[in-house]
Amino acid sequence: MAQAVAMPKFGQMVEESSIVKWHKKEGDSVRKGEILFEIETDKAVMEVESFFEGTLLKILVKENVSVPVSSVVGYIGTPGEAIPATPPPTAAAAPVPPQTPAPAQPAKPQPAPVQQASAALPAVAPRAPASVRPDGLVPSDAKVTPGARAPAPALPAAPARQIISPRAKALVKRSCIDPSPIAGSGPGGRVQERDVRAYMESRNYSAIRISPAAKKLAAAREVDILRVRGTGAGGRIMIHDVERAVAERPRALTKMRQVIARRLTESFTTTPHFYVTVAADITDLLVFRKDLKNRGEVYTVTDFVLEAVIMSLQEFPILNSVCDGRTVRWHGSVDLGMAVSLEDGLVVPAIRNAQDLGMRELHDTAASLAARAREGKLTPDEMTGSTFTVSNMGMLDVDTFHAIINPGEAGILAVATARDRVVARNGKMEIRSMMNMTLSVDHRIVDGSLAADFVNAIRKKLEDVALWTSLT
Amino acid sequence: MPNYLSNMRPDFKPRTVQCGKIPCYQYRGSLKDAVADGSLSKQTAIDMLEDMLTIREFEEMIVKLRSGAYEPTPTYNYRGPTHVSIGQEATSVGACFGIAPDDYITSTHRGHGDSIAKGCAAIRAMDVEDLQARVPDAKAKSRKELVEAALEDHVYRTIAELFGKEDGYCKGRGGGMHIADFKVGHLGANAIVGGGVPIATGAATAARYLGDGIVTCCFAGDGAYANGVVLESLNWAAMGQFTNALAKDKAFGLPVIYLIVNNHYGMTHRSDDEVMGVEFMSRRAAGFADNNMHAETVNGMDVMAVRDAVMRAAEGCRKGKGPYLVELDTYRYYGHSLSDPRNEYRTKDEEMAWKAVDPVETFERDLLEAKVVSPAKLNALRQKVADRNARAAKKAADAADPNPADVIKYMYTDTAADKVPERFAKVEIVKEAPVIKRTDAGELTYKDAIKEALFEEMLRDGRVIHYGEDISDYGGAFKVTKGLLEAFGRQRVFNSPISEAALCGVAVGAAMTGLRPVVELMYMDFCLMASDQISNQAAKWHYMSGACAEIPLVYRASVGGGKGYGGQHSQTLESVFAHIPGLYVVYPATPYDAKGMLKSAIRDNNPILFVESQLLYGNKGVVPREEYLIPLGTADVKRQGKDLTIVCWGPAVLDSLAAAEMLEKESGVSVEVLDLRSLVPLDEAAILESVRKTGRCVVASQCITIGSYMGDITSLIMEKAFDSLDAPVVRVGAKNGIAPQSHILEAAFLPNAKDIAAAARGIL
Repeated sequence: MAQAVAMPKFGQMVEESSIVKWHKKEGDSVRKGEILFEIETDKAVMEVESFFEGTLLKILVKENVSVPVSSVVGYIGTPGEAIPATPPPTAAAAPVPPQTPAPAQPAKPQPAPVQQASAALPAVAPRAPASVRPDGLVPSDAKVTPGARAPAPALPAAPARQIISPRAKALVKRSCIDPSPIAGSGPGGRVQERDVRAYMESRNYSAIRISPAAKKLAAAREVDILRVRGTGAGGRIMIHDVERAVAERPRALTKMRQVIARRLTESFTTTPHFYVTVAADITDLLVFRKDLKNRGEVYTVTDFVLEAVIMSLQEFPILNSVCDGRTVRWHGSVDLGMAVSLEDGLVVPAIRNAQDLGMRELHDTAASLAARAREGKLTPDEMTGSTFTVSNMGMLDVDTFHAIINPGEAGILAVATARDRVVARNGKMEIRSMMNMTLSVDHRIVDGSLAADFVNAIRKKLEDVALWTSLT
Repeated sequence: MPNYLSNMRPDFKPRTVQCGKIPCYQYRGSLKDAVADGSLSKQTAIDMLEDMLTIREFEEMIVKLRSGAYEPTPTYNYRGPTHVSIGQEATSVGACFGIAPDDYITSTHRGHGDSIAKGCAAIRAMDVEDLQARVPDAKAKSRKELVEAALEDHVYRTIAELFGKEDGYCKGRGGGMHIADFKVGHLGANAIVGGGVPIATGAATAARYLGDGIVTCCFAGDGAYANGVVLESLNWAAMGQFTNALAKDKAFGLPVIYLIVNNHYGMTHRSDDEVMGVEFMSRRAAGFADNNMHAETVNGMDVMAVRDAVMRAAEGCRKGKGPYLVELDTYRYYGHSLSDPRNEYRTKDEEMAWKAVDPVETFERDLLEAKVVSPAKLNALRQKVADRNARAAKKAADAADPNPADVIKYMYTDTAADKVPERFAKVEIVKEAPVIKRTDAGELTYKDAIKEALFEEMLRDGRVIHYGEDISDYGGAFKVTKGLLEAFGRQRVFNSPISEAALCGVAVGAAMTGLRPVVELMYMDFCLMASDQISNQAAKWHYMSGACAEIPLVYRASVGGGKGYGGQHSQTLESVFAHIPGLYVVYPATPYDAKGMLKSAIRDNNPILFVESQLLYGNKGVVPREEYLIPLGTADVKRQGKDLTIVCWGPAVLDSLAAAEMLEKESGVSVEVLDLRSLVPLDEAAILESVRKTGRCVVASQCITIGSYMGDITSLIMEKAFDSLDAPVVRVGAKNGIAPQSHILEAAFLPNAKDIAAAARGIL
């Protein structure tokens, strides 16, 4: 009997995954330990190795189809061997329910990607993905409202199936229109040719002028020409109009972006945020860092920020807590989240038990996590469970930004670019390196004065070179 | 004035039926005497031995092939039947030397011997021109060399057929059990036991009608003489009307010799003592003819005795004294096939006793004793035969297989009798033309349209004959044929016994040998009585012979549904026969179509099941007097429409037209009615064109819905016009049941216009 290859489960909370790329095709021989396919979970893309030797007899789950973990995705065996007649796993089309911590037992913190300020990354506001049909057409009744909370912001949900006769479907295809708004008048509500024709007439289809090439493209790309504005002479739809329509139409978010969307929307709409900004004078720290570097000891500014936050969190344990609206729970250790920007999103690896790490260990751990995050090689457990997050956009040339709190945490520190500014110091104007830091906090458990004390505690540490001398 | 009125009286005087005497084993001649008195030339005697040796060598090759021991073809893997007749060579050779080279034979599943013997005998009688035509590539110059080349070609083509090769007699489509060579009068071996007997009877019926002096020799085993169609055939052959006053100056007994090749075993059953009740099978004849068909039983192990009996029978046949029945007492050394070890039903001692009178060895001994051959010459002959077989087998094993792409090539012929040979074009009316009345509007009834077609075609072509139950003096149960007897005489229009299988089988044999028979089956239900002859014989021979034979015949089958005749007289069975490849199935719905299609059917060279409906017989329609033909395989739009198509045939066409009217009136729906007219060949294009236009389709017929041809039409539309459909295709047929007698029940059973309209509404 052929060996079944299952969709692996990476991490406790992963319920479904999709294969983004098969490295083998049916009939290829597979050695044990060879990369069989890559999967994308809601956290990352990872490579999966084969446990079996043999020939890939059958691929049951094609690329980019999300199925529950442990589903059989294929079979490995010897050619000619029988394959069990099990139906391929059904795509997990149902939206993943939002993870709301239960009141009695607050859920384990769910670290996840953090949406940075809208200025920092191209806005990828949730665009009602539920109303995106698999063919990429948007029903006319779906309101595409950027930023609005999506009713089910997960995979494109299968709409209630429209019953449409083959003849009507063929006409729809030929006419390059989207049939979803058409009501069927046939038995059982079947859309028939006459319904399509009536709809086309009501939409004044016959008045549409379209170039043959544009129509061909529209047919190939399934563009509804009723919704394309023609820019040719007399409103004639030209190829570039169709191309624009193709470019403009909604696409499904990647898994990662969907998770980002879901979690940040949840956080931003359920956690009352407020923000406190301070400017840290890191002139001396930069000099000190340069000295260290000259001595061969390399640290990043982030290392100092992280360490300052770690120490401050120990002084202000309420900032290392989580609130669900009814209870507040303190985390006994500082598992510091560190937002790392990726090509299409970001992840927040956690530095475990950060309070126990020396500066050197902290630097190494942070560097390693960041490097592996960029390579997509973080394990699911490394990407979960942070208790407070630092998002540093210092290298991105920004004056200040406000971050959204990662669900399950009490605050996040948004670190901006250090700039040389003229400041009054000891009654004189001086040019100093000033770095804005904005703390976002959950107002349910943190008030203004506490937030101010906390962020100033961080600031003071960064300005205290003596402290760093003792720590490095 | 009627043609023939029976005028008998009751006569119960005590008396005894005399069954007469049937001679057994009465041959007193010998090879020596025959050579001495000049009735057999030495060369002919040697030829007879050579043919027996050729048969035995051929069949021993089959035995060896099965075990891989035939040396000339060590790697060839033979797949196929192994029904060898070793031990029976004298029957094949004796009979084929007893008839003339032009005479016909029919054979059996154990027919290698008959086939080889018939071919060899015919080849030896051919002139140089015929021989050169047969083996055009031969380098031989003398006639003797040409004969030798043709004999080797004969063995080669027989083995090639056995091996399923394109060079075989039937292009590998028939194989050993269906081998035929129509060019030498071999009308086919037959793998249905008894299946060839009505074909032989039909060939003899044709020969009798054509008067060309040909005799048909019908080989069939003892097992076949328990088969219904065989007994029906014997009765047919002995019909009084062939020889008594009814035949007038055409009195002539059917020129057929029924050879019962009694090898004493069916497959394994013992005919003696077990499954039959007579000691001698020749007694069968006594049940059918007062002259016992000149029956006799002959020693079938003695080739001289067989030749003598068959020669006498053939002579009698040529004088119009047929039919003849000759039982040949012989023995099959091997089992039914090589998978039969024989020890379950007979003893070794029995086999040894029969081998002691082996026909080949006995005849060799006689030839040596009579000094017809020397021992050296005999050995040389044996070697020649073995070498020839080896060369032929090797060549056959290496020969090209048929092209898989041609798997259904030869299913149908595309020829028709467009031109009538001069000999048959001059038909004269015997007495008077039938009365066929037109209304002032030029209308005919459906049945008169059929009659007019029959009349015109019989007048056009003397090869067309028509027979069936009660069709002559009475004019048929439905008076369709009334007047044809008067027009064409009893030679061409005659009553048959109630033997549906024989009716249909005789037509196959007659069609193979030059006639164009039209057969009336009074009720379509009776097709099932004849299903072997329709399905296994008529439908298959063109293909199985590799297109060497055409079977131009028409079975007119009348559907009785709708008049309260119950389950056995009301069936609409065209779907059953549309499932039989090789047969055309047509069903006209109007008088105009009935006439034009029947005329086409009679001229077509395919076997055709022409379905008529008794419900329609009285319907009138305009039928032009001018000649017209409706090509088979063309559907007809009976009503134009754009919203919905009803594909239909038979009486359902009229119901569909009525339903279309109803729908138009009640909701303005425009319905197209497409009358298929012909199920096979099917006018796919017309169906698809209409459905592509309307997008909706109801398929209607009087067939019961389940398993019917309506399902095929539906599938066709699904497969080829799916994107044109606006609704599922629905079928309206009879209920999935048996036709009831009760008028109320039958009305519920058959579909009507309301049912069709309701189905249409459901998809509009």
